[in-house]
Amino acid sequence: MYSDLLHALPNVFAVANFAAVIIGVIAGIVVGAMPGLSATMAISVLVPFTFGLEPLVALGLMAGIYNGAMYGGAIPAVLLRIPGTPAAVATTFDGYPMAQKGEGGFALQVAVVSSSIGGIASAFALMLLAPPLSKVTLLFGPSEVFWVAIFGLASIIFLLGGNPVKGLMSACFGVFVSVIGADPIYGNDRFTFGQLEMLDGINIVILLVGLYALPPVIDLLESPLKTDGVNSSKLGTESIWKALPRMKSFWKTWLRGSLIGIWIGILPGAGGSMAAFMSYNEARRSSKTPEAWGEGEPEGVAAAEVANNADTASALIPALTLGIPGTAVAAVMLGGLLVHGLQPGPMLFRDNPDIVFGFMWQFLFGAILLVLLGGSLATNSFARLLNLPRPLLGSVIIVLMLIGVYSIHGRMFDVYLMLGFGAIGWVMDRLKFPLPPVVLGLILGGFAEENLRLALRIGRGDPMILFQNTTSLVLVALTVAVIVGPTLKKRFIDSRKKT
Amino acid sequence: MPESPNSRLFRPETLTALGTIVVAGGFLIPTSELRAISALLPAVMLIGLIVLSVFLLVSDQRKASAGVDADPVTQSPKRVTGAFLLIVAYALATDFIGFYASTAVTIPLVAWIFGYRSPVGLLIATVIVVGTVWAIFDFGMSQDFPSGRLWGR
Repeated sequence: MYSDLLHALPNVFAVANFAAVIIGVIAGIVVGAMPGLSATMAISVLVPFTFGLEPLVALGLMAGIYNGAMYGGAIPAVLLRIPGTPAAVATTFDGYPMAQKGEGGFALQVAVVSSSIGGIASAFALMLLAPPLSKVTLLFGPSEVFWVAIFGLASIIFLLGGNPVKGLMSACFGVFVSVIGADPIYGNDRFTFGQLEMLDGINIVILLVGLYALPPVIDLLESPLKTDGVNSSKLGTESIWKALPRMKSFWKTWLRGSLIGIWIGILPGAGGSMAAFMSYNEARRSSKTPEAWGEGEPEGVAAAEVANNADTASALIPALTLGIPGTAVAAVMLGGLLVHGLQPGPMLFRDNPDIVFGFMWQFLFGAILLVLLGGSLATNSFARLLNLPRPLLGSVIIVLMLIGVYSIHGRMFDVYLMLGFGAIGWVMDRLKFPLPPVVLGLILGGFAEENLRLALRIGRGDPMILFQNTTSLVLVALTVAVIVGPTLKKRFIDSRKKT
Repeated sequence: MPESPNSRLFRPETLTALGTIVVAGGFLIPTSELRAISALLPAVMLIGLIVLSVFLLVSDQRKASAGVDADPVTQSPKRVTGAFLLIVAYALATDFIGFYASTAVTIPLVAWIFGYRSPVGLLIATVIVVGTVWAIFDFGMSQDFPSGRLWGR
């Protein structure tokens, strides 16, 4: 089962593939260090530029960015008390007090080592759990695949928290966008309104850039943060190898945080910030000096950072095997896979083992490279990035977005379409409509429709074919559980509170 | 205190729900011309959007009746509108007067308008970005960018 994993290893060491991981990690740290920019946004902007690249080069960049950004978010969290990414909120609790005491350099070193350990644990979880799960999913027929798609959509809508009506509306919008273009079986136009550019459907990259890159740019221009005065030359950073012995006592926190992060990553809808908070709380609860937490306790930084990096690769376990992403970044990465003709799901492991297992190795090496690339010298350099003027950054990202989207087909129509999706995405973001269900709706919508039609053809039009085997029934039961579960749980908690 | 009926209609969620109902209703019309099996999924999604929008509308109006204020969509509407308009103007300029000319103007213009006022910094950033784009995409990858419809090319 794991022989394909070993066969894929030499490919990862090809110069271009390995360089992609290195560049990705550096770019990820830079992006993560900029408050307001996120891994999701960076990968969305990157995806169109990877069209002409070999799949492993493109995926290496993505893996590197994801790993790097999760650590990069700790830099402003420690130095400015502004989390660079949402997952770094818990890092501010003890990281910033450490910086105020003149231990900012050590806080960042704890963050980079913990991030690396979390990332390594997560990559191993992906390598160990995804292959057996993929073997099971290879046995699925059209009706099971249809139910997997429905289960994926239901999970992301109902487990994401927030307002389920808004989640459902987001998913309906995504599925509707997926049907625009020529009907896959009969070939008749659906909602193209005579535009030849839309006959092939809406390219997922256009949607991703619009939804995930435009709103952060507007945010950057809406309220530019004043970050002047970050004096990174006085971080008090020593060599990372000298700092390591001071971290020996964190091993329990690293182990606990890694397990929490991996578990949260696998759960659809949950994300790095939840993992970091849970890990931080658990570590503080089991600490002998809980009163020191929040006042500059290095173990607090370790707990938050190990967990928010441990959910990176593990979020890809359901994404790669079932096509259900655990986090928003994983949803965007699914889009990146599709760009290279790699349909996430059961067939991916059978048809493209070198690529999928190579991608797993790239996650592992990306996590290891974090320590080397985010060491003392680099930490000082990355901290200086906080002084970059945000309006200038915003204008450069706008140019990159236009280039990326235009390059897909070499036409301005796609740019206008992206701006339309961007406007919709900005409104959705501000009104707290979740964005991942839109992406998942677009990915799974066509997939679900195709398999539904196929199943109905096999069953000669009888819809009962969708319920005629045990796997389908289990998936239906799981979907129902995901939909009614949160409501039942809330009622149960409310009734316990009353008694 | 409950809001006046007029202002209640201008709550962001209410406007979004009404807009979605109108747009989804409009998209529903062409589904009648499709084969039943082709129309099934889009029609279900559009009807779903309409029904869910009604739920959203009712829930938001109930909040309005209870005197719950709607959260503002933005703290700085002028800056947001300005940012959107500049981005759209950049896309139109790229289409009509060409990529390099519009990019060379847009980078310093957007940064200047939104608060970065160092002429040297703007010049350096513009030269670096435009130069890098030319070197990587135009020179290195032979990627053609729009040269401008106004010039007839």
